[in-house]
Amino acid sequence: MSNQIPGDENTGGIAGHGSFFQDANLSAEEATRATDWVRKHVDRRTIDLGERMDDIREHMWELEKEGEIIVHRITDEHEPINVKTLFGWDKKVPTKQLWHHKSCGQCGNIPGYPASLMWFMNKFNFEPGKDYLDETDQTSCTAWNYHGSGIGNVESLAAVFLRNFHQAYVSGKQHGHELGHFFPLVHCGTSFGNYKEIRKYLVESAELREKVKKILGKLGRLVDGKLVIPEEIIHYSEWVHVMRNRIASELQTIDVSNIRVTMHAACHYYKMVHEDAIYDPTVLGGNRTAVGSSVAQALGSQLIDYSTWYDCCGFGFRHIISEREFTRSFTMDRKIRVAKEEAQADVMLGIDTGCITTMDKNQWIGRAHEQNFSVPIMADVQFAALACGADPFKIVQLQWHASPCEELVEKMGISWTEAKKNFEAYLKEVEAGNIEYLYNPELALGGRA
Amino acid sequence: MQEIYDEIRSDFRYDHELNGCLNCGICTATCPSAQFYDYSPREIVQLLWTANVEQIYDAMQEKIWACAQCMTCAARCPFKNSPGGLVMIMREVAIKHGMQSAKDVLRPFGRVMLKLITTGNQLSPDMIQPDHFPDWGPNIQKVEGDLKTLRKAIPVKTLQTVETAWEVSLKTSIEMYTIWEMTGVMNSLETMDENLFDVIEDFIDEKRDDYEDWLEEQEDDD
Ligand code: SF4
Ligand code: SF4
Repeated sequence: MSNQIPGDENTGGIAGHGSFFQDANLSAEEATRATDWVRKHVDRRTIDLGERMDDIREHMWELEKEGEIIVHRITDEHEPINVKTLFGWDKKVPTKQLWHHKSCGQCGNIPGYPASLMWFMNKFNFEPGKDYLDETDQTSCTAWNYHGSGIGNVESLAAVFLRNFHQAYVSGKQHGHELGHFFPLVHCGTSFGNYKEIRKYLVESAELREKVKKILGKLGRLVDGKLVIPEEIIHYSEWVHVMRNRIASELQTIDVSNIRVTMHAACHYYKMVHEDAIYDPTVLGGNRTAVGSSVAQALGSQLIDYSTWYDCCGFGFRHIISEREFTRSFTMDRKIRVAKEEAQADVMLGIDTGCITTMDKNQWIGRAHEQNFSVPIMADVQFAALACGADPFKIVQLQWHASPCEELVEKMGISWTEAKKNFEAYLKEVEAGNIEYLYNPELALGGRA
Repeated sequence: MQEIYDEIRSDFRYDHELNGCLNCGICTATCPSAQFYDYSPREIVQLLWTANVEQIYDAMQEKIWACAQCMTCAARCPFKNSPGGLVMIMREVAIKHGMQSAKDVLRPFGRVMLKLITTGNQLSPDMIQPDHFPDWGPNIQKVEGDLKTLRKAIPVKTLQTVETAWEVSLKTSIEMYTIWEMTGVMNSLETMDENLFDVIEDFIDEKRDDYEDWLEEQEDDD
């Protein structure tokens, strides 16, 4: 069979090229062999990574063998599910025994994010203190401040990383488990990108390891005199990704097939240490990072692509505080307007604090510039929780969002006014001290002082 | 000036972030900051690559602060450069040398830094109020009510706080201070903003005293 495209017979060339491009007339077998070679060398999943791009995890195993570090392993007990990263590497995503590494932005600003995540864990009958742990002995990754202001340095970021992940490693002890029982689940995109970058530096630089070892030693956070580094850095959206089919088949109660969803994947999820981001051929042809989009798809909503999907949100770390004109212009012009005009989106989903804050909070001012566009913004896990019947106020906590979530909730067949009335009644209960928790609150305070 | 350039080059990340440059401009084409500022990641890379010391110094006076740290450039560069990463090295050096650009930029960040260094959290509910962000509109919360009660209505115990994003144990904060001191972050802070530094030092001393008291109480209980 000829590879020539119909209509090109006159020129003798391949469509779109000049006549010097001749059909090679390869047999089917030869053509496969030829494209295999191209795939092997050019396809982004098998791209020749060169020396600088080899798998950092392999070096971690070597360092462990040499007695330099301890690798916090993902074991069968964590019930991991394998996924593929951008370069076709396997990544194990633990589904159980997770240590919630909270995000200061989410907890301070979008609390429905962690609440929805824990709500899901409870729905799967996870036992707090055994299948997951949320505690007070952790700090934020400090990377927002670093990228925003430049105060901080690689050493401080590394020390914070190792401190928090050491705590994750030993946290099980207090609850009667082995070391390494809980594996860290990182809620924030910024923390996720930063930790992966720092892990790379730690593995590559003996000098950096030496410096931080002194600090960790002083803090009493070495194990057998060694640094503890986790086998994988796991973002919460990766947990949602591997659980998506269970979420849809076991928990979904609301039909969302009439909802048009646009997705904004966080830059620090897939552009920073990009070899580690999850891609799945069943999600937008594997041309976009899978997380977030995959759960929207699994729930049966209409996932709509849009031309500025690759753009950042305009957060800018520094800009959201001190250069707000950039942030709001970028977010309105490049994201909200496009999602509305091109995709007629009912909602924009995100997987990170900074993006959701930026796109959520900066819509109101748009009116001053005759940019009267608005789209509700929330995390994939919040949208999934809504689709599974979670209360829009008590669990999904949409009352903290500035964007117009009301319309979306109504379109999903949930009464916003009814839910709001119930919540206001609940606030009276809270004032009287009758507070509902997702799990025994004492466990959360286990790490006090 | 030469010293500043040498310092940038001697950062152990430098060779990691800069391998050469085709001058292709792919980084600038997808850079959000290039759309709004007189800023180009390609230019930054070229400056460093061709060792134009004076212009590097000039760029550090203003331009490097335009970068939004999205790392789109790093994901796209055919040479595996990271202009955004290079900008970070330059920012760190600018701070170490107490450059005016860094001081100007850091001023509005004072509240975040205060929060970060004293609590280990960077953002807290009491910071996200309409009076701090008038451009976010009058309805940051869709439900009327006092912040404390609204926070208590979150079904996660660790989140029932107002001054931190989650409740942070005292021991955790103390460990954090040790990290700030041992990694030279406190020194940079002193160079940049002495007032803020003094406020933070007082705060840390107080917390350390609290911790000592707490430890003593524990011993007494035993
Ligand atoms: S990291 Fe900075 S230089 Fe790179 S694309 Fe983003 S804004 Fe531009
Ligand atoms: S994309 Fe890379 S090679 Fe091209 S101009 Fe930018 S830094 Fe240079």
